Amino acid sequence: MSNADASETTLRLERLIPSPPEVLFALWTQPAQLVRWWAPEGYEAAVHDLDARPGGRWRVTMRRSDGGVVATSGVYRIVEPPRRLVFTWAWEDESGARGHETEVMVSFEATPGGTRVVLLQRRFESKQARDNHNVGWSACLDRQTKIVG
Amino acid sequence: MAAALAPRLDSVFGALADPTRRAIIDRLLAAGELSVGDVAAPFAISAQAISRHLQVLERAGLIERRIERQWRFVRVRADALEPVESWITRQKRHWTAALDRLEALAAAQTPKRRKS
Repeated sequence: MSNADASETTLRLERLIPSPPEVLFALWTQPAQLVRWWAPEGYEAAVHDLDARPGGRWRVTMRRSDGGVVATSGVYRIVEPPRRLVFTWAWEDESGARGHETEVMVSFEATPGGTRVVLLQRRFESKQARDNHNVGWSACLDRQTKIVG
Repeated sequence: MAAALAPRLDSVFGALADPTRRAIIDRLLAAGELSVGDVAAPFAISAQAISRHLQVLERAGLIERRIERQWRFVRVRADALEPVESWITRQKRHWTAALDRLEALAAAQTPKRRKS
């Protein structure tokens, strides 16, 4: 994967949210909080695993009103309350097959009005590709944080 | 994966080839969820014709129905355009909606500051 196609493999979203980083970090890492916003309207989210520490697994299922279930799951890489969270992320379809591996970084930067939330998601074509990129990813995150800050 | 996708692509493109059905999808994307009656409202065609269009969209996996008492609601499925969209477009929509929900919840948990 070259940097040339980064625009097609990396998603970046930024929000200014008028709440402190601690409140937002808890919404991402506490199961009872996460289920309240994780799934689209009309879906019911349930946390099956959520071990918010490096190497810990997470898995959240989403049940549609017609009974169909999809899930998202992955492994935490970096957990730095209340500033930063990095985890792998993939959709699981109704047969349980896991889609493309991606990695998500969410950073929470305190601002005078609340928090600047930056979400970065990178797509990898395989687990191996993801593992190979882990070193570069951390450096990339630091750069992003600097650009943002 | 690609082989499993092909029949789905055919039905998605087939469903979206019709201007009325595209207009229905546009309407649902803008509104979120609508009752079947509200979907039909701006169209100068019969309720049966709308119903047929909805069936085609549902079979293509583009919309889903929800029944609440006597009301029938339809909305675009979260994974509706998966076969035709880029990964990034899909994820962007997913996270944008998720962050909206997160933000609303965070607001409810954040004490309001008094204005001095």
